[in-house]
Amino acid sequence: MCSFSIRKSPNSSFIFPKFAPLLVRHCLTLPSLVPILKPPRFRVVASLSGTSWVSQASKEKYGGWALIEDEAPLPHWKSKKKWRNVVITGVGSSLSSRPIVSAASSTIDAATVSPPQSQILSTRRSLLSGETTASEIAKSYLSRIRLTEPQLKCFLHISENVLKDAQEIDARIARGEELGPLAGVFIGVKDNICTEGMPSTAASRILEHYRPPFDATAVKKIKELGGIVVGKTNMDEFGMGSTTEASAFQVTANPWDLTRVPGGSSGGSAAAVAARQCMVSLGSDTGGSVRQPASFCGVVGLKPTYGRVSRFGLMAYASSLDVIGCFGSTVADAGMLLHAISGYDRFDSTSSKQDVPEFQSQFLSVDSFESKPLKGVKVGLIRETLEEGVDCGVRSATQEAASHLEALGCLVTEVSLPSFSLGLPAYYVIASSESSSNLSRYDGVRYGNQVMAEELNKLYECSRGEGFGGEVKMRILMGTYALSAGYYDAYYKRAQQVRTIIRKDFKAALDQNDILISPAAPSAAYKIGEKKDDPLAMYAGDIMTVNVNLAGLPAIVLPCGLVEGGPSGLPVGLQIIGAAFDEEKLLKVSHIFEQTLKGSSFVPPLLPNVA
Amino acid sequence: MATRAFLAVISSSPNRCFITPRMIKNQASAFSSSSSSSALQFQRHSRKPHRISRSFSSETNSSVLQPPDISSLAKTARISLTPAEIEEYEPKIRQVIDWFGQLQQVDVNSVEPAIRADMEGGNLREDAPETFENRDSIRASIPSFDEAYLKVPKVLNKE
Repeated sequence: MCSFSIRKSPNSSFIFPKFAPLLVRHCLTLPSLVPILKPPRFRVVASLSGTSWVSQASKEKYGGWALIEDEAPLPHWKSKKKWRNVVITGVGSSLSSRPIVSAASSTIDAATVSPPQSQILSTRRSLLSGETTASEIAKSYLSRIRLTEPQLKCFLHISENVLKDAQEIDARIARGEELGPLAGVFIGVKDNICTEGMPSTAASRILEHYRPPFDATAVKKIKELGGIVVGKTNMDEFGMGSTTEASAFQVTANPWDLTRVPGGSSGGSAAAVAARQCMVSLGSDTGGSVRQPASFCGVVGLKPTYGRVSRFGLMAYASSLDVIGCFGSTVADAGMLLHAISGYDRFDSTSSKQDVPEFQSQFLSVDSFESKPLKGVKVGLIRETLEEGVDCGVRSATQEAASHLEALGCLVTEVSLPSFSLGLPAYYVIASSESSSNLSRYDGVRYGNQVMAEELNKLYECSRGEGFGGEVKMRILMGTYALSAGYYDAYYKRAQQVRTIIRKDFKAALDQNDILISPAAPSAAYKIGEKKDDPLAMYAGDIMTVNVNLAGLPAIVLPCGLVEGGPSGLPVGLQIIGAAFDEEKLLKVSHIFEQTLKGSSFVPPLLPNVA
Repeated sequence: MATRAFLAVISSSPNRCFITPRMIKNQASAFSSSSSSSALQFQRHSRKPHRISRSFSSETNSSVLQPPDISSLAKTARISLTPAEIEEYEPKIRQVIDWFGQLQQVDVNSVEPAIRADMEGGNLREDAPETFENRDSIRASIPSFDEAYLKVPKVLNKE
């Protein structure tokens, strides 16, 4: 019996906050601003230097773009008026006399909210047309980070070179040189991915001041294509956790409700994209660590096929399960980032030599869609994911998503994966075992924090005892147990055999269907501290995602609805699973789904009391 | 649904093992000898316990293996734990290992263990050394460094 109610706005079938259209047009997308005429109901939380209507005090306190917060329902005159998206050029610390350029206009009406636009493509357009410069965009992002970080705590480290990198892009544009596909794109990188010269700690004290001497292959590719690394995002220590509470340094808050977790282990990356502190970000997914936080934070999380992206430079947690994944505010952004980082790498022998198709051709404009753009696509809804134990809000959002797919022409049937429930224990056996081996390299001798002792074993024991957090130590001990002589057959080998069974079940289901769908998590974001003391309750939240890692398949999570909770509801995500190396189909279906989803735009409410 | 499965596991009594005194003695000797020896001896002893455990799995269900001994596991894993930590982790680890026990119920006869998901053969690169340019950065990360050597304290044989 569900005790919540779904608020329906006239033309949409999903919960949608009344004043969210306003948020859609402003604030958390690229340089878009409040109009000069400051209505009394709006509180400017950051001032734009150079405009006369902002108080001197706030001008000095903040620099850069203005964010607005609407605490009241829209007055009647606003709903009739057309808003203008304004892009301010020439932001500086002194008064600027450059004119305000109107970029676009739209009406605020829940039913006609335009589908989310790719930030990568719109950045490229504005840079090439001269509408704005990379340095201006950089300043806006840096000031937004400065404003929102005290509450959100998404980042462990902000790069010192953001402005410098942006200026380089501007210089390239001025010289008329060709720009890479990620030029001017601001990217957050999860802290377990090595970035040369920038601290990369995997959110652990044992690597507290460690600066890698090399870039991970994924980061190297991003830089080669013009992307700008904004900073390193918070995470659960070494990827072990589902809430980002297990970080040794700070707990990240969910931008939708500051008392709730953003999910884990890539919570910082997801929250940073949700709060528009960066455009896209990299995370890692071993058991759902990209997909579950994407669901909790209302952003798109894309997990590629195992072997699609090189793991060189990703600090290993479970080598047979780890992949690097992408976050974006739209499917197109996540897909374009994935394309940039994919490909065979000679430094990773598990990376695949399969061709990386051109994903961009899937991201057509909604205007060019036929009436039933997904006609003939067979979708399997996994029966075991909608049984008891899943929140009814999540269940109904998933069923609504299935209806939406049917409306687009898909043939949706229920499929059963009988081995589904075995995935969770098998995953935790494999992950603990492999991580106990992978984390043995952190011994305080060649890098990281060292606790000096009289004897070598003592040095290992003390460095690791003091450097690792509680969850990490527990998992290493569990893994050590499972791999001990006499126990290997009973645990690790058995789990490997269960992995074969699960792979076969998925393959059979994907032979009959093009894609499979399920919720991304059994509930929306929990409160901070809710699951901290009960490991099994924490592990239970991964039920929807671990099987996909065991089978090595690609999957995407995109927001499909809101459930009750927090100031404006909490997002829930739909997980779409594809066949191995078939990211193209996955992106095609999810892009069309996203672009045709009526009446919802997943932009979290701005932080109260920021000013 | 898996969540129902957990609740069933958690609520049932923690020790569903059917352990005979002989089994305990064999396992205890195998476990303690392997955990206290050096790595080399570890391998030498490993054959015997494998044979023992195989006979177990056919006649018993759930976890018949000895429950985890946190202190000796910590020694194997080279992690020092305070008594407070041992007290905190022991019940949690025991709970999770018991939960792992449900894998024993699965019929895995003639199922090949999968090392990982993909089936591509190892794409190995040529075994030829390459010079890494940024050696200074590597040196900068080393906690105790002296000229060309990493400094470590003396190595004592295990008692």
